[in-house]
Amino acid sequence: MADRTGWLDEVESELRAVSRELEVPPARDLTAAVRQRLEGQAVRRHYRPALRTGALRRRLAWRAALAVAAALLTVLIATPQGRAVIIHVFRFAGVELRQGPGPARSPGSSASLPGERQTPLDKARHQASFPVLVPTALGQPGEVMVSDGGRVVSLIYPRTPHGLVRLDEFAGHLDQIFFEKFVHLADVTEVEVNGTEGLWIKGPHELMYVTRDGAPAIASARLTTGNTLIWGTRQVALRLEGDLSKTAALAIANSAH
Amino acid sequence: MLGWVRRAIEDAEAVARAQSGDLDAYAALVARYTLRAHRAAFLLGAGEESDDVVQEAFVKAFRHLPRFRTGDPFGPWLLRIVANETLNLTRSRRRRAALALRLRAAEPADTAADGPVDKVLAAERRTRLVAAMNALPDRERQVLVCRYFLDLSEAETAQVLGWPLGSVKSRTWRALNRLRGQLVPGQQNRVPSG
Repeated sequence: MADRTGWLDEVESELRAVSRELEVPPARDLTAAVRQRLEGQAVRRHYRPALRTGALRRRLAWRAALAVAAALLTVLIATPQGRAVIIHVFRFAGVELRQGPGPARSPGSSASLPGERQTPLDKARHQASFPVLVPTALGQPGEVMVSDGGRVVSLIYPRTPHGLVRLDEFAGHLDQIFFEKFVHLADVTEVEVNGTEGLWIKGPHELMYVTRDGAPAIASARLTTGNTLIWGTRQVALRLEGDLSKTAALAIANSAH
Repeated sequence: MLGWVRRAIEDAEAVARAQSGDLDAYAALVARYTLRAHRAAFLLGAGEESDDVVQEAFVKAFRHLPRFRTGDPFGPWLLRIVANETLNLTRSRRRRAALALRLRAAEPADTAADGPVDKVLAAERRTRLVAAMNALPDRERQVLVCRYFLDLSEAETAQVLGWPLGSVKSRTWRALNRLRGQLVPGQQNRVPSG
């Protein structure tokens, strides 16, 4: 035991010594550059005082992206040879949306998230780094799955009036990417959930999980069922999937606490 | 310790003012945290794009300020955004080479053949340790960078990397064990001669 602590202390103190000798180039003074970029945002906020800066910026960015993509699509339809090369990427609440064909999928419904396993809800809450929300409109989930070491918590409702419903929750509110979706832009619309933006994606599309290192987990690729709603709160991002109408999905989302 | 408390209070004040749109207060935070953020970005692999990553992180952090919980420390919160930006960048670039950690070029006196033997041995050991760090799996290297090169606690590391605390502990332990063999040649794994 004494031997074990001995080597541990030695490695740790050696690492701290290395820390002082590491080559790190000098940092640029960023105060002016950051300020300049933020002043641009502040001016826009001045014109639309009802919206928070972040919400406004994202909304504007999303609208601009949609407009640009729509224009590009028009061009592409006119020039069919361009069709194969176009890939557009949007990021929203931890989900990356790509306009384009998806990867080869796992057969049937066998695809699951890495390390996915069933866990009681209270244990799942402990393992997740974010608060797990439960929609009162659906009640207690039939199954709770924890995946990738607590990075994603999924609530499964096997029998609802709408059939099987799945709710994936993840810390996607901080720009990290958890899922990639391969969609047609025409199927994506902006909606409002609890006063913030959400995205409604009509119809099945290809979905793939992206690991912490940013690598797509190929075995997780599958076709979604029904429709999908993505939205975020201050502490968690959510992805609701099932054979739901937009109204039903929004009612469920609004009841998640 | 007192200095830390005072800094936390100053940060909280600046954050509160920045949240209400005070760009001067935010500029103070930018100035205060640029060095730490830059060191984090560089050591986590942003390479020559570290300044850009940090600038982007500060702009995003300002946008996310409405979500910042009053009373939380600002440093780890900011570093999480820096870490995410860096990992997104290295993911899209897939450039392993930029990730390599390096020791500063040693002073000539340190490497002189007639220098004190223990000093030469220590320098040699550190070179070997850095090489071993570079050979670690990504997550194990990231956790050691946070714990020992950015001086973050286990809980702060969990926040910055977005991992459960248990993963921070287990990966740190695994990584330290791997380095052990490199540091004490002959006692553990055999080390390539040289």
